[in-house]
Amino acid sequence: MSEFFVGEPKIETHGVTKVYADGRVQALAGVDLTVAAGEFVAVTGPSGCGKSTLLGLLAALDAPTSGSIRVGTYVLEQLHDADGFRRQEVGLVFQFHNLLPRLSALHNVEIAMLGSTRPHAERAGVALGLLDDVGLADLAHRRPPQLSGGERQRVAVARALANEPSVLFADEPTGSLDSRSTEVVLALFQRLRTDRGVSIVMVTHDELVAAVADRTVHMLDGRITPAGGT
Amino acid sequence: MSGPARSPAANGLEQEVHPVTSRDDHPLTMTALIGANLWAKKARSMGIAFAVALAVMTVVTLTVVSSGLETAASAVLTVGKADFTVAQNGVSDLLYSNIDTGQLARIGATPGVRSSVGVLLETERIDAADPLFIEIGIQPDDLTTFGVTVVAGSAYGATASNEVMLGWRAAQNLGLHVGDLFHANGTENRIVGIYSTGISYGDSAAMFPLPALQAYNRVPGSVSLVFVKIDPGQSSARVQRTLTRDQPELTTISTLAQAGRADRNLVFLKAAVTGSTILALVIGAIVVGNTMLLSLFERTREFGLLRAIGWSRVRVVWLVVSESLLLALLGSALGVALSFLVTSVLEALPQLHGVLHSDFTPGAFWRGFAVGIGMAVLGSLYPSVRAASLTPLKALSNE
Repeated sequence: MSEFFVGEPKIETHGVTKVYADGRVQALAGVDLTVAAGEFVAVTGPSGCGKSTLLGLLAALDAPTSGSIRVGTYVLEQLHDADGFRRQEVGLVFQFHNLLPRLSALHNVEIAMLGSTRPHAERAGVALGLLDDVGLADLAHRRPPQLSGGERQRVAVARALANEPSVLFADEPTGSLDSRSTEVVLALFQRLRTDRGVSIVMVTHDELVAAVADRTVHMLDGRITPAGGT
Repeated sequence: MSGPARSPAANGLEQEVHPVTSRDDHPLTMTALIGANLWAKKARSMGIAFAVALAVMTVVTLTVVSSGLETAASAVLTVGKADFTVAQNGVSDLLYSNIDTGQLARIGATPGVRSSVGVLLETERIDAADPLFIEIGIQPDDLTTFGVTVVAGSAYGATASNEVMLGWRAAQNLGLHVGDLFHANGTENRIVGIYSTGISYGDSAAMFPLPALQAYNRVPGSVSLVFVKIDPGQSSARVQRTLTRDQPELTTISTLAQAGRADRNLVFLKAAVTGSTILALVIGAIVVGNTMLLSLFERTREFGLLRAIGWSRVRVVWLVVSESLLLALLGSALGVALSFLVTSVLEALPQLHGVLHSDFTPGAFWRGFAVGIGMAVLGSLYPSVRAASLTPLKALSNE
């Protein structure tokens, strides 16, 4: 167990529900979850159980139908600037890296910093440093089509870290990777937790991948199962 | 490469800042991103820019041609150096204005009028280079009042026939001198003098005794325009009001704008230009909007990603509108260049040579650029707002 999750809870949800399609589809049916600062939590469950929906709500990509969510000092239902919250607090990694194919790896990382107060000249340096952290400094000028799946996902991780987030949300980050690349990305997550104290919530359907996390919560039918804990 | 520096990070840890190599020394800016986005879809970008260029070319060409015609029509009014000019009201072309002897006399008798000079204006095809050569019929006694200075030879006699004076520009262009014969109005006319008015338009014309030109054109006793000078201390506006009240069949012209309004052909032409401008704007906006909308559908995931990593709605709107604006600027510049080319070609056509005079005014360029920018803003507004209004999660899940 990491030393980081003995402090204040970093993420807390209470009775979070999400209903789609005019009430016909209940994606979340009252989720209570607590994640400590610096904790690495894996959320598992079958397809359609609400894992990705929960992650989207935690990242303020969407709003819950009811319930409350707190991330750090941000109470999301009272959030006026969700974009600013994501920019300052949240790093996001998706199953499909979502890199812009026309930009180099370096610029794909820098794009997260556009609009920040960081000087232009410093952005490239920070981006290169992050690519170095994920072992891709030498490939900084390659475009995504010139990179392997694992390399693209590592660029996506570097992009997620560009604004020094305190939480990282990863949605099936290894879902499209081979086993070698999966190992590299998971090792990277563990390093982020230990070196930077970043809280990580990772959605995965792969129990082997989930085993790398400090804790696993299991979801079924929009709820965290009792065995899954909070 | 030197070792990395460290910058304090928000999460309390330090973030490495690597010195950039020469290949990295162009950080990603909004401008660079806009350029990369447009470059990635070169054919589409060129298509939009070309659509803008065609619209701008149409607007600028019509504007400069209309402006050229207006300048030509109003240039004749400046020759007389009068306080104002009188023409027939509601005439389709100022050259077709017809004022008879009685009206001319009443104009001269209007209180506040110091002098009134009636002139007949006609056009004639002299040669291919001068299809609309201007001929002015004016009494020799009125030449001085009209601002004419004889610079070579002498003035014609009041009742002389087959005598003519050429403006110095016309003489130069035609290679004629005092004593030469000038073929016009179906006869050979002896050039008795060369004159100057100080006005380019007047100096490119020929002057005939008024009765002779009236006879040539079978309009005895008629003049086209009357050039009026008022008594010192008189209000030009008041004299004009009095004159048009007494003779409502006449109109007075003292500014370029009034000349444009008095000439119904110019009024129709300007209305056509305005209509074409609006049409170009609307069609162009639809073309740009349609293409941008297609682009938006293709880039939905990208916009979702940008929102997910913290880009604000305003920034996404700005990105999309800026891409359109850049294409509009390029298209507008191309359109202006094309309008130069098109007007040059039109002016060189045998049918239009000497008739079409393009007048490239700053206003024409601004109008063209306004149309280009307007197309871009109108065309990209809906797609950009739509892009920004997508929730990041929905946009990211778009296939």
